[in-house]
Amino acid sequence: MIALFAGSLLSVTLGVALVQSSLLLLITAATLDPPPGLGAAARMEFADNVTAAVSMLGIILGMAVFLAGFIISSTFAFTVAQRRRDFALLRLVGAGRGQVQRRLLREALLLGALGAAAGVPVGLLVMAAQAALMRHLGFVPAGFEGRWRMWILGVSFGTGIVLAVAGAMVAARRAARVQPLEALRDTGAAARVMTATRWIAGLIFTGGALALIIVAPVGGPGGGAAMAMNVPLPAAVAAAALSPLFVPLLGRLLPTGSGVIGVLARANLWDARRRSASVAAPLIVLVALVVGTAAAGASFTDSGIDELKRQTRADLVVTATGPVGAAVAAVPGVASASTELSVPATIVAGEDSEAVSALVIDPAAYARAHSVDGGLTALQGRAVAAGPGGDVPSSGTVNVTLPDLDLGAVPVVAAVPSTISGGANLLLPPGLVPAGLLADAPAQSFVTLAPGASADQVRAALGRIGTVADAGTWLRDDAASRSDVNNKIMVAVMGLGGLYALIGVVNSIVIGAAARRREFAAARVGGLTRGQVLRAALVESSAVTVAGVLLGGVAAAGALIAAARTTSAVTGSTTVSLPWTLIGAVCAVALIVTGTTSLITSWSATRPAPITQLAARE
Amino acid sequence: MTREDAAVTLRGISRSYGRGNAAVRAVDNVTLAFPRGAWTAVMGPSGSGKSTLLHCAAGLERVDEGQVLLGDTDLTAARDRTLTELRRTRIGFVFQSFNLIGSMTAAQNVALPLRLAGQRPSAAVVRDTLASVGLADRARHRPRELSGGQQQRVALARAMVTRPDVLFADEPTGALDSTSAAVVLDMMRQMASNGQSIVMVTHDPLAAARADAVIFLRDGRVVDRLAGASAGQVAARLTALEVGP
Ligand SMILES: Nc1ncnc2c1ncn2[C@@H]1O[C@H](COP(=O)(O)OP(=O)(O)O)[C@@H](O)[C@H]1O
Ligand SMILES: [Mg+2]
Repeated sequence: MIALFAGSLLSVTLGVALVQSSLLLLITAATLDPPPGLGAAARMEFADNVTAAVSMLGIILGMAVFLAGFIISSTFAFTVAQRRRDFALLRLVGAGRGQVQRRLLREALLLGALGAAAGVPVGLLVMAAQAALMRHLGFVPAGFEGRWRMWILGVSFGTGIVLAVAGAMVAARRAARVQPLEALRDTGAAARVMTATRWIAGLIFTGGALALIIVAPVGGPGGGAAMAMNVPLPAAVAAAALSPLFVPLLGRLLPTGSGVIGVLARANLWDARRRSASVAAPLIVLVALVVGTAAAGASFTDSGIDELKRQTRADLVVTATGPVGAAVAAVPGVASASTELSVPATIVAGEDSEAVSALVIDPAAYARAHSVDGGLTALQGRAVAAGPGGDVPSSGTVNVTLPDLDLGAVPVVAAVPSTISGGANLLLPPGLVPAGLLADAPAQSFVTLAPGASADQVRAALGRIGTVADAGTWLRDDAASRSDVNNKIMVAVMGLGGLYALIGVVNSIVIGAAARRREFAAARVGGLTRGQVLRAALVESSAVTVAGVLLGGVAAAGALIAAARTTSAVTGSTTVSLPWTLIGAVCAVALIVTGTTSLITSWSATRPAPITQLAARE
Repeated sequence: MTREDAAVTLRGISRSYGRGNAAVRAVDNVTLAFPRGAWTAVMGPSGSGKSTLLHCAAGLERVDEGQVLLGDTDLTAARDRTLTELRRTRIGFVFQSFNLIGSMTAAQNVALPLRLAGQRPSAAVVRDTLASVGLADRARHRPRELSGGQQQRVALARAMVTRPDVLFADEPTGALDSTSAAVVLDMMRQMASNGQSIVMVTHDPLAAARADAVIFLRDGRVVDRLAGASAGQVAARLTALEVGP
């Protein structure tokens, strides 16, 4: 009983803490003011970084809300299910359905409020940790710290109470509905685990995941990636809802041995489908989210790297500052060079303004260096082109502001196809941007050597203008930094959420074990040694873990399929990347954590002499 | 017997479990009246449908066919709300395995049905009820601190605290040693003598012989009825049923 309440409380506390922390950080970032004394260009760059941080914190908040909703409601549903016998006894001595239901909802209300009360201070610790992580990964400026807001108290208590009550509601209805005798004997409707609610949720969310997989390729690079990365959410809910169908089946397929331990473990898996499903649920979500989003993210990153490799036509890449185009082109042995200067810009549409990145280019050289079909001949004078980064309409006019300079409405005369690897949103012809703005602009030149030119001599000459790398090395470094950024994003988005899901797994094992003292005692009175009982519990938990990991893997595969279809639609070649180290680590952590927890809980549940457990009838 | 004399009337009730070939007809077209103010025992071989019959009679299990009347109230037509109300007021139930709530003291267990009915049971009522089963000094003990016989007496007290029309008991002495069983049976005899209607399932001839009448079941059907029989006679009849027709 204590374990059940403590488990419910823990799930609320941590869920509320995570949501509160993510929300406060998001609000803090969104209202961040640039430090005083910055120039116009630096202010625009600051705004750009804030936009990126806000959108990442938005994803983190979404993840936190999803996980809190999932874990709190499934924990509450599980604890109610575990107490069905108690409610059956109450019903037999005259408790009405409404009384049982109201009591459960009152409990959920209380636990939700208590959990939130603990979650508010814990949330401050989580916020410190989350802010430190974001600073460490470089997504927010040094010194960034979440700020407390008084109204968050309302949000946190609301979150705790609403999620707890919502989680208990369905289970409470069911607990109140079943016939008391059936609940007491665990037969008939009371024993059914695949309820109508599970079927409906399972089918609806399967449909949602399939819809995302089908639509993702049409969404373009940005939209497609977002949809693919979101597949694990509905897929995990569907897999968890349908898990009572699969967990025991997978358990049967596993080689648990033919000895008494294997037989006992398999029988338990089948008989305790609800408990198995409840342990598997947070595991499914953990694996689906971590592996699914990481695999989809890696696939998009790798696809972008391949795409960049295919499109870039250059022998050397020079990194420098300021308008170095003429100097680079003048070096003997340089056949052609596309020099690109990046400047921050803002696109204004009505009230909204969006920070974008712009490149000042030489259209003909750019088209050659980046394999732009049909060239960019129209890009001249007061015209602009939509860049490979997307987000800019491919025709019509846009209002562009540069630091200290309003360009006004300019026509979009060309569009480079959006790429998976992204890049500038806006391409500007030379002459549109005043020289003063370009003096300190970061520059990159993609250089093609003339036939017969000595690479070493050209490198030496270019080395006086900026840093020179051969294109192969530059692409490799660029790929490495892209993967690095992708990994950092995964850590920022998944780190604390994954930890919360893992705690959810431990929580449900502890809750499940609380009701097993009699069962273990009966097995020991029946002739099993304590060691055999522990081993059977370990085999059972490993089987549930493997089943949960496999189901989570199926949900993760959904994200991978969406990523494969999207990369294929955008770049013409399918890219699938599996982060094997991460997958191995997740499997190992899952097996170790569930194995250790179930050994500890069953060890403590078998500590008293078995006969004392059997004598204590309720 | 007229309807007014019957505490519970069963009219052609049947109850099956499972479907198709695996279907078991646990109770097969039983028509029976349990007289008011009398103690009726139901006997039969294991699996003959005794528990199912009792559950149907108490409105804990629905019937497939037929009608169950508690006094004048038709249980077969009753909604869950009505059945719940009846459990608080007119039906008491005792199980073989006590089914007390482990976290509550004996007194709290006894007071529970009254509390569920929205009453505030007075300490005196609870004390008197516990005293009537000889457990006045165990009010603050939890079930795990009581012997099996004592737990069953608490269960009896809990069933009786609402002064039910009928007390149903499913093998109330089945989990008890003979001494504890004798104590429980003495108490039930006392209740019956005070006019309490009791329907009790048992497979113990000694227990059945304490009742006013014994009904014998086999394969879900009533096959015999004895009144005022001795334990020996009851045992002989039961053995005959278990061996064959
Ligand atoms: N919930 C149930 N599901 C399926 N079969 C049942 C169920 N309850 C009882 N039965 C079957 O109905 C028959 C009568 O059971 P029961 O009334 O418990 O017998 P008794 O109490 O006389 O031993 C038995 O064959 C039993 O297997
Ligand atoms: Mg029985």
